[in-house]
Amino acid sequence: MRLGLICDGEPGLGACQRLGCALAHAGAAVTLISTAPPAGRPGTPAGASNDALGWLPLAPLAAATSDLVQGFDALGVFLEGSALTAFRSAHQQAAELRGRPACLLFTGPFRPLCGDALMADLLPRLGYDLIAVQGEAQRQELDWLLRSCGRSGQAQVMLGLWCLPTEPIGHAPPQDPVLLVLDNAQVPPSPFANRVLYQRLRSIALETPSWQVRLQPDAPLPPDPSDWPETSLLWHGLQDRQRPANLQLGEGDDLLLALMQASACLGIGSSWLITAMVWGKPTVVLGDYGIRTEFNGPLFFGSGCMARLADSLPLERLRERPAVNAAWLDARGWGIADGPARLLRQLEALRP
Amino acid sequence: MTVNVLLVADSDSQLLACQALARHGDGREVRFTVNAIPREGTPETVLQALERGGPLWRLTPLQLLADPRLDDFAAIGVYLTGSKLAEFRSVYQLSREQQRRPRRPLFCGFNGVVLERFEEAIAWRLGYDLICLNGPRDQARLELLLRHTPFSGQRTVLTGLGRQRPQAPGNERPRRMVFAEQVVMPAALAERRRLVRILARLARRSPEWELLIKPRVAPHESTFHAVDTHISHTLRDTLGSPPANLQLSYAPLPKLLAQSRLLGTVSSTALFDALDLGCRAVVMDDFGLRPDLGTPFFAGSGLLRSLATADDLDSLAAAADPDPAWLHWVGYHPQFSPANLLEALRELQTHPLPPLQLSQPGYVVNAADLSTNQLRRGAETAIRCGDLEEATRLLEMAQLQRPDNRNISRRLAALRLRPALLRRLALLVTPRFRL
Repeated sequence: MRLGLICDGEPGLGACQRLGCALAHAGAAVTLISTAPPAGRPGTPAGASNDALGWLPLAPLAAATSDLVQGFDALGVFLEGSALTAFRSAHQQAAELRGRPACLLFTGPFRPLCGDALMADLLPRLGYDLIAVQGEAQRQELDWLLRSCGRSGQAQVMLGLWCLPTEPIGHAPPQDPVLLVLDNAQVPPSPFANRVLYQRLRSIALETPSWQVRLQPDAPLPPDPSDWPETSLLWHGLQDRQRPANLQLGEGDDLLLALMQASACLGIGSSWLITAMVWGKPTVVLGDYGIRTEFNGPLFFGSGCMARLADSLPLERLRERPAVNAAWLDARGWGIADGPARLLRQLEALRP
Repeated sequence: MTVNVLLVADSDSQLLACQALARHGDGREVRFTVNAIPREGTPETVLQALERGGPLWRLTPLQLLADPRLDDFAAIGVYLTGSKLAEFRSVYQLSREQQRRPRRPLFCGFNGVVLERFEEAIAWRLGYDLICLNGPRDQARLELLLRHTPFSGQRTVLTGLGRQRPQAPGNERPRRMVFAEQVVMPAALAERRRLVRILARLARRSPEWELLIKPRVAPHESTFHAVDTHISHTLRDTLGSPPANLQLSYAPLPKLLAQSRLLGTVSSTALFDALDLGCRAVVMDDFGLRPDLGTPFFAGSGLLRSLATADDLDSLAAAADPDPAWLHWVGYHPQFSPANLLEALRELQTHPLPPLQLSQPGYVVNAADLSTNQLRRGAETAIRCGDLEEATRLLEMAQLQRPDNRNISRRLAALRLRPALLRRLALLVTPRFRL
C-alpha cells in the first residue's frame, strides 16, 4: 500500500516519521510530505530506518491539490485545527475538478490528549474517512463526541502510543544519577512562576551535589537564547550567573538521548513523561499546581506518578517512586502492539 | 419523616442551581433551606426568588460552620467554586471532629451543563459523599477519569437538567423569541457585535415577532466571569438605533420563557429551562462548533440553526424538535431528577460510608488540602506548633501556586531567617494568614 503522511513541523513531523517507519516495517511504501526534511533521529522502530521513507517537500495545501498525491492509496493528514478542514476541502475540490475520486484520507491526534483538549482536536477531524486514536481512553471519548454530534458510521482504529518513542532502550544510565526536568516552555504560563520553580530546583541541586539536575526543553527552543521565552525554566537558568555546576541546561535536539540517560524524570505536563514511564524511569508528574486543564492535569491524573515536589525529596527517594499505573498506561494506547498493522487492514477494507 | 437539607451557595449561578433543587422540596418529604453566602454584586432578584421559595440564611462560611443549627440538617449540599468547595468539605469535617459533633453527608453538584474543564471540576469535588451529575454523559466521563484509580469508589447520582416546574407548550403565546445572552460566549467584542447584527437582521425579517435579548446580568450586577462591555453597550454601539421589535429585557428568565414561543442561545443552560417551560429552542450555530463557545455540547441536539440565514423566526420556530436520544444522554429526562438525590441520601443515612481517602501515593487531588489557602492555614498551624520544617514545606507549595503573593513570600523568607531570634521577630511582624 502506498501511503503519504502529511504534517507541518513539530511535533507532527517526528510523530509521522515514527509512524512512517512502523508502517514501512509492516510492508507499506511511505512518503513523508512536509516542507521540513525528516531528521535522522533515534527512537524509530527496530528494523526500520528513516531511509525506508520517501520525502516530498510540499506544504500541506499545495499537497492537497497536487497531482503527485493521486498516486497514493491513502493520505494520512496529521495537521491540527482549521488546517485539517482546509486540507480536506481543497483536496476534495481538486479531485472533483479533475473528475477523479479523492484519495482515502485518514487522520488522528498526534499528542496524547484527553478531555477538552482531545475534543477540540477531534472536532475538525470528523468527516475524514478514518480517524486513528491512540488507545481505549481516546476511543471512548471519540465515541462520546460522535454520539453528541449525532454521527454514526465514522470509521476508527486504535493505533497505540504511536506519537511517542516507546520502543525498549538498551542504554545504561551514567554513573552519576541524573534528574531530568522536562521543561514545557508554556507551563506554567507566568515568568514569575517559572522563576520560583527554577529557584526551587536550584536549591535542590545545591543540596544534592551527588546528583546532576538537567533542565531539558521538551521541544526545540529558538537557536538564539535571547529569543527563549521567559516562561521556560531554561531562560531562568541562562540568567543565573552563579548556576550550580550540577544544574545543567539541555538542548532540544538531545531530548531522546537525555531521556535515555536519565535516572529519574520530573515535569508538569510534558507528553514525554509518558515515554519516561514506559521506559521504567522513576517519574514525577509535579502535582503542586493541582489538576489543571491547561497544565495537562487531567491526562496525568490517573498515572499514579503524581507527587508534590516537597514529597519527592531528597532526590534519593525518587528511586522508590511507585510504578506507573499500568491500566492507565494501557488505556493511553500502550497495550496496543500492532497499531500499524491494524491501520493497514482498516485502510485496505476502506479502499473503494 | 421530613428530610431537612441545607444548600450553601455564593455566586448567582450557584444560587440558581440551589433554587432549582429547592423547587423539589414539598415540605413534607423534604424541606430545603438555602444559605446564600454574602457576596458583592449578587442580584437581589435571585435572593428574593429564593426567599419566596423557603427559608433563606445569609451567613458567612465561618458563621455557618459555628452555627449549632447545622446539626438539624440531614445533609448539606455545597454549591461553590472549586477551591471553596474543597475548603468547605475539609473545614466542615475538621470542625465536626474537633467539636465531637455528628458529621452529616455532604453533596455537591454543577450548575447546569458542564461545557469545559469537567475533569478539573471533579478533582475539586472528590471526597464529597455524593457528587450530583447531570446525566449519563457526565457519568461516563467521570468513570473514565477515575477508572483504575484509588478514587473509583466515589459515589455519584444523576439529578438531571430539568430545573423548572414543567409547563405545557402553547401556540397561543405571543410571537416572541428570547435570546439568552452569555457574558463570554462569544467573548471577543467583534463577535459580540456580529451576534447583535445577526439578531437585528433577524428581527427586521420577522416584523410580526418581538425579539428580546435577556442579558445574563444587569450592568451593575456581577457573575462568575468578569466582563468589560455589557451587552446593552454593545447593542447601542453596534446598531445605533435597533429595530423597534428588538429589545433588551431584564425580566426573570422563567417568566419570559413562559410567555414566549422560542428561545435562542449560543450554549446556555437556559435551553433546558425553555424546554421545561414549554418554549421551543434553537442553538445558534453561526459561529460553528467551537470548544470556546461550548457549542460542541449541543452538536447532536437537533437544534442547531443558523440565525443569519434563517428566513424568519416563523421558520425557526416551526422546526425545532430536540433529539430524544441526545436529551437522555446529556441528562434531560424524567429518569434523572433530584428525586434520585433524596433516595441516595436516604440510602446514605441507612448505610453510611467512610469518606473517600484522598491522600494516596502517586495521586494528587485538588480537593486534598491543596488549595493555597489550605496550605497557608496549615503552615500557620505548623508555626504555632513549632514545626518550622513543615511550615516551610507548606509555604513552598503555596508559593509555587501563587508566586505573585507577597505575603506568602514574606512569611517564607521569615521562616528561613537565622538565627532563631531574628526568625521569631520576623514571624511576629510578617502578616499571618487569616481567612
